Amino acid sequence: MSVLSVCEWIQNLPWASGVKHSAWQFPVIESIHSLALSVMLWPAAILDLRLLGLVMRRRPVSQVAAQFLPWTWTGFTVMILSGLILFASEAVKCYNSPFFRTKVILLGVAGVNALIFHNTVFRGVDSWDTDSATPWRARLAGASSLLVWIGVVAMGRALAYA
Amino acid sequence: MLGESFRPYFEWCGNTWLGTAVRDTVWAFPLIETFHLLALAILLGSVLIVNLRVFGVGKKYVPAAQMARQMEPWMLGSIGVLIASGIPMAFSEPIKCFESISFPIKMGLILLGIASQLTIQRKWVIAGDTTALKAKLAAILSIAIWTLVGAAGKGIPYV
Repeated sequence: MSVLSVCEWIQNLPWASGVKHSAWQFPVIESIHSLALSVMLWPAAILDLRLLGLVMRRRPVSQVAAQFLPWTWTGFTVMILSGLILFASEAVKCYNSPFFRTKVILLGVAGVNALIFHNTVFRGVDSWDTDSATPWRARLAGASSLLVWIGVVAMGRALAYA
Repeated sequence: MLGESFRPYFEWCGNTWLGTAVRDTVWAFPLIETFHLLALAILLGSVLIVNLRVFGVGKKYVPAAQMARQMEPWMLGSIGVLIASGIPMAFSEPIKCFESISFPIKMGLILLGIASQLTIQRKWVIAGDTTALKAKLAAILSIAIWTLVGAAGKGIPYV
């Protein structure tokens, strides 16, 4: 069974084709997707900017992370759920789209980047918590995260018009 | 929703250099919309973090008023980017905007949102007692207005 045939099967599920053929379901779910993006992206970006030493320089990094990451995880959960519904309603189009494929790859990169950050340099945050200039690996993680998420949003928009 | 007498102004927008340039460039609209959406994320993200904090949601390392003060320049800056990126998009399809109910509602809500930010939000949240009822009123208004702005924007191609 090919990936394409799985996509066809998903797209033809009653609820998935229901979303596609409804006049309002797609834009409403898309609005929720964008709202969830805001809840996810800006708090994540604040932490990235703190790692780069650009905002909240006098607050400990661990405190900024503890304050903003719960927002990111909440938004991320809603974003993934709403995104899966949107994907299911046009799975074949997504499968064939280079923008969607790039988006999935970038999401993977964002995940790996976060995993590496949390399991390496952030483990030792105690030793640089209050530094305004964080270690280069923390700055690299912050910059990568910002760029990758901008890319994810751009691919999402490109997908909508291609 | 807008009267027919407004139509010529919208048609004029569509015939400007800006309108035709965005229409005639394949990737222009999604690219501009990407910036629009990123700015919206900063605005809505700030609005939610700050105003839900007034209702006690989120970590309390810093007072809600301080959070609100810290986020305001980002909000105003992102509103600037939203307007700057919104104009070329509207100019590229002004008739769609003219015929949509969502568009004039969105424009009205934006004015209301900016006005509430510069008045009650500053007075009752940034400079006020955030446990007071007035702060909660300003917070709920801000959340409602800006969320509806986003939803109305999504609604332009549909209604």
